[in-house]
Amino acid sequence: MSDFVQRCREEWKRLGVSDALIEEMATDLASDLNEAEADGVSIEELLGRSAFDPASFAATWAAQRGVIPPAPTARRQTFFRKPLTLGALVFVVLFFAALIGSVLIIRAAPPTLGFRRAAAPSLRLLPGAGQPLPGQPLVVHAHASVSAVPLVLLLLLLGITAAGITWLWTTRTRSRPPSPPV
Amino acid sequence: MLDLCLLAVIDEEPAYGYEMTKRLRARGLAFVGEGSIYPLLGRLEREGLVETHRAASNGGPPRKYYQPSSAGRLALALGVSEWRAARDAVDAVLAPVTLEVAT
Repeated sequence: MSDFVQRCREEWKRLGVSDALIEEMATDLASDLNEAEADGVSIEELLGRSAFDPASFAATWAAQRGVIPPAPTARRQTFFRKPLTLGALVFVVLFFAALIGSVLIIRAAPPTLGFRRAAAPSLRLLPGAGQPLPGQPLVVHAHASVSAVPLVLLLLLLGITAAGITWLWTTRTRSRPPSPPV
Repeated sequence: MLDLCLLAVIDEEPAYGYEMTKRLRARGLAFVGEGSIYPLLGRLEREGLVETHRAASNGGPPRKYYQPSSAGRLALALGVSEWRAARDAVDAVLAPVTLEVAT
């Protein structure tokens, strides 16, 4: 029986249970096993199948009592590891990048919007070709600053897409069934 | 169900692990081993349903005695009530059944 208790000690130590708790549980277990032995009760009668698997017995007991520290791999999520936070951050960054980019472009070259009449190709060889002539169709001309609009829309679209994918991924992760208790 | 049985036996008088096993065996629950009692006691302790204290046993080393806390007594009362309701319902279903053994 002392070998069984020793194996339990080793398992608790491996699981990171504090020395004080190991000593407490091992002492209680050893006392009970000794008393049972004195009563003529074997360890197999007392523990059933657990008598052949001290590691599992010790792990289950410690887990049920809640004395196993969190596993090293199960690190707590920091601010940037939270998927929803990260998605929102990406969205905000892209949004403001688009906003600031638009402002800078517009300030560098104020948009102008004008109308002039299209020149007929047949008149380009003549003096004064290219000047609007009465009766020709109007064509709208705009400066390059207007081309910032698609960029803004693209960045916004990327931000919304990133936020949407993150939200879907988070929802799927949360909807998974919890793992059964040990 | 075993947690109710444990709470019931330590509600009569505080007991340590092996002593609970002996009390349960004396009432017919001989299949109960320490292997299932210890994790269960650990859970009851974690959930605050039992209180513990150390005291000397009969000529042996100090043992860890368990007794129900106030929350444990409430859980015991509710559990027993639910168990009796379930037992009565099952009895009502099984009562008309007559067994005939062919020879």
